[in-house]
Amino acid sequence: MITEPHIPDPDGFYAAWVSAHEGLTEAQSADFNARLVLLLANQCGDQAVLLDCIAAASDSGEPSLPTPQDPA
Amino acid sequence: MESYHFAPAYELPSWPFVAPPELGSDRVVRHPIVIVGAGPAGLTLACDLARRGVRAVLLDEDDTVGVRGASSRGICYAQKSLEIFERLGIYERIAEKGITWSFGRTFSGDEEVYNFNLQTDSVSKQPPFINLQQFYIEWFLVERILALGLTELRWKNRVTHVTPLADGVRVEVETPAGSYTIEADHLVDASGANSPIRTQLGIDAHPSRSTDRWCISDVRFKKPLPTERWTWVDAPFNEGRAVWQHLMGDGVWRIDYQMPEDCDTAHISQPEVAGARLREQLGPGVEFEFVWIGPYGYRDHLLDDFRHGRILFIGDSAHVVSPFGARGGNSGIQDAANLGWKLALVAQGRAGDALLDTYDAERRPAAVENLRVTSRSARFLAPRTPAEHRLRRAVVALASRHAFARALVNTGRMSVANDYPAAPHLPEGGRSVQNLPLRHLDGRPTTLMELLADGTHCLGLWFGPGRAQAGAAADIEASLPLRLVAVGGDSELPTLQPDQRLARHLGEPPKGSLLIVRPDAYRAALLKDPTPASISAAVRSALAHR
Repeated sequence: MITEPHIPDPDGFYAAWVSAHEGLTEAQSADFNARLVLLLANQCGDQAVLLDCIAAASDSGEPSLPTPQDPA
Repeated sequence: MESYHFAPAYELPSWPFVAPPELGSDRVVRHPIVIVGAGPAGLTLACDLARRGVRAVLLDEDDTVGVRGASSRGICYAQKSLEIFERLGIYERIAEKGITWSFGRTFSGDEEVYNFNLQTDSVSKQPPFINLQQFYIEWFLVERILALGLTELRWKNRVTHVTPLADGVRVEVETPAGSYTIEADHLVDASGANSPIRTQLGIDAHPSRSTDRWCISDVRFKKPLPTERWTWVDAPFNEGRAVWQHLMGDGVWRIDYQMPEDCDTAHISQPEVAGARLREQLGPGVEFEFVWIGPYGYRDHLLDDFRHGRILFIGDSAHVVSPFGARGGNSGIQDAANLGWKLALVAQGRAGDALLDTYDAERRPAAVENLRVTSRSARFLAPRTPAEHRLRRAVVALASRHAFARALVNTGRMSVANDYPAAPHLPEGGRSVQNLPLRHLDGRPTTLMELLADGTHCLGLWFGPGRAQAGAAADIEASLPLRLVAVGGDSELPTLQPDQRLARHLGEPPKGSLLIVRPDAYRAALLKDPTPASISAAVRSALAHR
């Protein structure tokens, strides 16, 4: 997995990504991102890298909710 | 108000109960092989053994084929299973009665998003799939078993208790005319998902029950549709839920509708409700009649070991998976074909007990793989959260426009002849060889299955052997279950014409090399430079000789 800068025009990409969300509802935005993930995953084409990216995305998120415990 | 009528019920055969000879005698008779359960797996095993000249006792608690009458169960018989049936001698009946298909389409809404053609990679004489009602397969197997005459098929014989012994199994059986006890050198449990033997022995199968619900409609209708497997991820005529559609024998369509998880199963299977669904699907003016309607859920389970001493588990007693991809019945049939030749050689004193361990070593990983694949299909078909629905929606949205996304549309990955892992007896792992049509040197047609059909032997396919080489190896056949067949070359061996498709299918074996193919048509080893010693060693290794 590459984590050094690899996007040719980072601000240009970010602007295009933001722009694609304009006018979308929250649900539509989430649907768009899911499609984008699939399209970008197919560009990568390396199974280990894809799985590493999934792990990296999980690690960068907020901690998940603790699972409900039985009352003591 | 539309009224729905049912076709007359199927008339299934039944066979008479015959009081077994052990009834009324105190002597406990020992049989070499006892099989419990006359479903597809048990019947295939009994038939396989009979075809190999090996006697067995097959006990079934019922006296007919099918369970709960003609209820719709397995339908899609995969190429490997069909090849097995060819070797056993029932393929022609199946091909004549069933529906051959290789093309599948998957829809989202009204739009096709994916299709596949299984014929593309096939070189077998058998097609990728034939659909046929399960009870026909069982019926044909029973008749073939009776014709071969080596199996004691005991109807209305219910196993009530098994006792594992050091060198066999004691089996207590109840019949309408009383109870009796027999012993078996080896007992094969083919008694299905709810195996009473497994329960009695307290063997955990780690079951996992799904909350997904479906309803089957078996129906005849007058609308010409192609004989293709059609699936919908989200059918507009089923409130956006999945649907399967297959044609079976007798002009009966088998349609599976996914239901809401909290549905009332009695309600959804009422003719009026099922009929309304079908009317929505077929459109107005299409006549139809029901053959059967039935709701179902599904589960999965898997034994940790398919062998417990002298007891071997095949089919659903060992493993159950969700139905998407036709990996249930087919894997039971293939379990039977994997075990049959091994039991035959052991019963004939031509192989040791270690060969039976290879059944578990090969078929359990196959079941693990089937479980992995079908679990993923089940998850795609029944997303558990809004987020999962979102991901699936993304796949489907891209699939109709972009080829890569089609591979992600998962309404079932169809049954394959599983590869077996590398092991001492399979140094390169095991891969099935398809049933290629071949020709003898004199032009007579044959097939791989025909070359494996009589007796029990490995096939040594020798590519262009030299005369002296082949002569030196001839003696091996006398002492090992091996039949040498040349492909081209000038030797005294029985010789097949060289064949490009065969060579390509086998990975272009170099001239002079020898491929050992097991009795179940799995490749065991490729010898680049065969000598009598190396050939013997390879065959012994494939038979797990110590």
